[in-house]
Amino acid sequence: MLVVENTKCECGHQNAVGTVLCESCGKPLENNDISDLPLEMRYDGVARRSQKSNPSYIDKIWNFFSSVKIAIYLIVITFLTAMLGTIYPQENTFINNFDPSVYYEETYGLPGKLYYLFGLSHTYESWWFIGLLVMIGTSLVICSLDRVLPLYRALSKQQIRKHLQFIHRQKTVYKQTIDGDEEKWVEQLGAQLKKKGYRIHRDGTALLAEKNRFSRWGPYINHIGLILFLLAILARSIPSWQMDSYITIPDGDTVQIANTNYFVKNEKFTVEFYTDDELPDKLKGTARAKLFETKAVLYECESNCNDQSQQPVLKEVMKHNIIVNEPLKYKGLKLYQFDFDTTPRLNAVHPILIDKQTGEKYGPFDLPMKDSALQHKLGPYTLDLYANYMEFAIGDNGEPTTLSRDPNAPAFVFTVKGPGLDPDGEPYMYFPMQKDKVKFSQDAINHAIADKIEIRVDGMENVDFSEASTYLNVRMDKALPYVWIGAFFSMIGLLMGSYWQHRRIWLRVDDGQLSLGAHTNKNWYGMRSDVAGALQKIGITVDPKSLDNGGNNA
Amino acid sequence: MPSTFRYNDSIRELCREKLVVNLIMGKSRKTVQICILIAVLIIGGYAIGSTLFAADDKGPLKDGSIPPEFELVDLEGNKQKLSDYEGKAVVVNFWGTFCPPCVKEMPEFERQYAKWKDQGLVILAINLSEDTLTVNNFVRRFDLNYPILRDVNRKTERSYGLKSYPTTFFIKPDGSIMEIKVGGMTEVDIDERIERLLQL
Amino acid sequence: MSLVDFSSDAFIVAFFLYCFAFMFYVIAIAGKKWSNRDPIQHEKRWGRIAFITSSLGLASHLTFFFTRWAGSGQIPTSNMYEFMTFLGMSIMIAFTIVYAIYRKPLLGMFSLPLTVIIVAYASVFPQEVQPLIPALNNYWLKVHVTTAALGEAFFAVGFAAGLMYLLRVVDFKGKTKEAKRSQFWVEFSLYSIILIVGFIVAVFAFRGMGYEAEFIQQKSVIDSKGIETTTEETVYYTLPAIVKPYNSDTVKFDSFLGMSEPIFEAPYWMNGANSGRKLNTVVWSIIAGSLLYGLLRLVFRKPLGAVIHPVMEGVDAEDLDEISYRAIAIGFPIFTLGALIFAMIWANIAWGRFWGWDPKEVWALITWLYYSAYLHFRLSRGWQGHRSAWLAVIGFVVVLFTLVGVNLVIAGLHSYSGV
Repeated sequence: MLVVENTKCECGHQNAVGTVLCESCGKPLENNDISDLPLEMRYDGVARRSQKSNPSYIDKIWNFFSSVKIAIYLIVITFLTAMLGTIYPQENTFINNFDPSVYYEETYGLPGKLYYLFGLSHTYESWWFIGLLVMIGTSLVICSLDRVLPLYRALSKQQIRKHLQFIHRQKTVYKQTIDGDEEKWVEQLGAQLKKKGYRIHRDGTALLAEKNRFSRWGPYINHIGLILFLLAILARSIPSWQMDSYITIPDGDTVQIANTNYFVKNEKFTVEFYTDDELPDKLKGTARAKLFETKAVLYECESNCNDQSQQPVLKEVMKHNIIVNEPLKYKGLKLYQFDFDTTPRLNAVHPILIDKQTGEKYGPFDLPMKDSALQHKLGPYTLDLYANYMEFAIGDNGEPTTLSRDPNAPAFVFTVKGPGLDPDGEPYMYFPMQKDKVKFSQDAINHAIADKIEIRVDGMENVDFSEASTYLNVRMDKALPYVWIGAFFSMIGLLMGSYWQHRRIWLRVDDGQLSLGAHTNKNWYGMRSDVAGALQKIGITVDPKSLDNGGNNA
Repeated sequence: MPSTFRYNDSIRELCREKLVVNLIMGKSRKTVQICILIAVLIIGGYAIGSTLFAADDKGPLKDGSIPPEFELVDLEGNKQKLSDYEGKAVVVNFWGTFCPPCVKEMPEFERQYAKWKDQGLVILAINLSEDTLTVNNFVRRFDLNYPILRDVNRKTERSYGLKSYPTTFFIKPDGSIMEIKVGGMTEVDIDERIERLLQL
Repeated sequence: MSLVDFSSDAFIVAFFLYCFAFMFYVIAIAGKKWSNRDPIQHEKRWGRIAFITSSLGLASHLTFFFTRWAGSGQIPTSNMYEFMTFLGMSIMIAFTIVYAIYRKPLLGMFSLPLTVIIVAYASVFPQEVQPLIPALNNYWLKVHVTTAALGEAFFAVGFAAGLMYLLRVVDFKGKTKEAKRSQFWVEFSLYSIILIVGFIVAVFAFRGMGYEAEFIQQKSVIDSKGIETTTEETVYYTLPAIVKPYNSDTVKFDSFLGMSEPIFEAPYWMNGANSGRKLNTVVWSIIAGSLLYGLLRLVFRKPLGAVIHPVMEGVDAEDLDEISYRAIAIGFPIFTLGALIFAMIWANIAWGRFWGWDPKEVWALITWLYYSAYLHFRLSRGWQGHRSAWLAVIGFVVVLFTLVGVNLVIAGLHSYSGV
């Protein structure tokens, strides 16, 4: 396609293939370019690294990713596919026991089924979406590298006296005839530009004024930040770098965090609601939560951690009151308040036994709902626990049974021995909850023994129950610091590139004829007013707009 | 002195210039390109690969997957691990006294156990974290002889992702799941499945 | 008088000042051609008057913002009303900054109506102060919302300048296919803006009439633990229900123009809170907006683009192009900071993850990607001017969808209520 091109400029500089403007004097190099339209100043007209006369296979891949056009396509495809993922909820919004293959079709019908089949229900974890991000990352690296190095080279050795064609074909141009000492005139203008923050380089009657060159590095710093950010996100898939699970802990319980050596105790969960005074009329009477708090204790297990037959040995490492926005944090592990459940749960009762003949009271004794002692001795009485039920009911076959394993309607069957009772013992059924006592008519079930003894709880202080359960979200993310570093760099780069502009003014006086050209990478308006302002100061009034030489605002 | 400074500066400038030119056009160019492309290949490959493999690990257990390991205590206080029974046909059944179909199944498993145990069948019945008395009473009532394991704090049940009870896992001698049966089964169902399992 | 009441008054003052400022900007531009005056002097004089008025409006708006903050004890960005008014205020701030750089009264002629529309749109929503739920009570949230809104405000100014560019350069007399297409889409953009005005008009008209309808909707909700429950929800309408909520029964229905029951039912896939009502609102906006548009066409007897085009004569199109680009370039870092970085910091504090692919988050990312594509396009030859102006216009549609559309169609964590 390409014939060997003569890339030597008339000033004697040897340029690389693909160079648009001579790297030394700035003369336009494209052979037939004799128009006087404003010049293409991107990357100062230097050859992009990748441009080569006979590309190899590797060069071709390289060139593909080096193209800004491809980068834009990748960005566009990425945001278009990202849109698809928001049509229906993603799979990861559901936590437990959720079968996507059924859910989407059941909930959304045929479109839902297709959505699932095309893998859009996990768009952002799909191989093609990740693939797009990888390609964007590659493009970021290669595009930047291909441009930043040549640009750096071009900007670090700029010639002051530029070719006239180069100056006249800038987007901002001023021409004028000068009377008097040319050098003095140039010096005067230079002094004015210096006041505006320009750095002045002079070469006789030629001048280069430049400011904010650093802003040219902004996009590249931004890109480095983005690459760091993407790598940090990728690092999260390294096993044990990231964890995200949920635990439910009733008041007073200690629960192990799955796959770790940590145990958490919920000492007390409290929820506070807004009072009606604090609510606007429309919301009065609704339960709008103001604060939830879990008094949590974190333990590290020292031994017997996964041995189900023994109690683990725990060491307290931290105490913290978890509220929303204030998680418990310990060595990268974070426990967040996620949700709660205010269904109370009975843990234990401390009942007494009353001898109905004498009125004597014995006890109280400990009766936890789970794994109670099998025998309780109370004065002359002995209670042998014969059976217990968590949610008592009479089964279809007429036998007592339990409907669940949670103490919703607990019942205990004791064999009681003692004064006035059968020496082999008599069965006594005990319902700790008053509502069950009535519902299952405890006294009727117990027949005659109900007249001799009674087991009951005296006062609420003898009842232990959990008022609520807290749901905590357990998270760990070791890549997080890198994510922030990446975001920070990216932001710094953006600010550098957006709020400062690299401005340059070239001028030369040839036989009393002034030629001034100016270039900026953004904000031509500011560029023109800089030039017009400096000229104004040395007594030349020009309308900034008249400096505009046409062309586009790149 | 100033001239020496300038001299040093220009030397430095020259070196820098040389390095940059070398990176852009010189011999290093190809090396740089290849290094970067290889890095992209490795990192990108890892990123895409991990999404493909992640799809297999996560999500509920299904036929063919490897069931999670457990170590639980039976009624005699002995520790039992799933891996103890590698190479054998294993039936893992989750049950509770509060679930009528589970209760109905237990004696059926007992009969099946008696029928097949000489051929190497292992039945592990994992109780759903109920208390000791409840489990003991139940086992005594039905006179069960196969190992009854005690889950604690619903840990094993959770690792198996149980949704409802009973759930039975038929595990092949190679350690993978032949079938997951959610809900109660008739004795014929059990028999048919065990027969299939033992033939593998 | 409490601070919150005082702030409401300040808000009304701001609204009227904006309306006046808009009129003055129109006078500054359109009045140039009036006889017996020097056009440059005229524009300068009226431009200054308009700018002073709009700045007073902004001052009043800021007064509203800070007194409401002081009065309610929380930063007023927590519901749709507060957020939209804040967005309007941000647009005024962005406009003031861009105006300070370029001093083009023309910009006011387009930015102010945008602000007026958004502020009026905000007043459609319930205005009382609502206490925050715990998840929203955080310093970073405030920073996130305000910064993101400011970034979006610059995009809005970029949009205004882009639309101006199009109205300036599109050939409204052209008969070529290309010219026809441009004419159509410019007209469509103007029509869309009028739809929003139509919406505001419809809401206030029916509110004035005291219209009411009520439905009971059966809703099945799948909670975070995957358990499905059916709940009954009462849905109130303040616009006659052309569309009733999905799976609902009518409780009360004021008849309107002989219509005594809903005609359609909302589709099942609209999942946002009160989606049936929102869809109904959209239908009404289209009806009212189309009526309004038809009326304007009757008055002017030509397309609205062709009506505005002559006013733009003598404006330098390239300046408009640059203003549009620059507004977006200024807004982009602010948006990045507010809508992505601060959002991530807050999400990390509140939910323990900096990114969760929540629809609102995804749409913020889409907006960001869109504008980064825009900025890269500007580097390419042939993408300045006309095409770039279209990108700026479409970009603002993406911004609006992120702000309002997502809440309308998709359910998520960002719980602003809607009409």
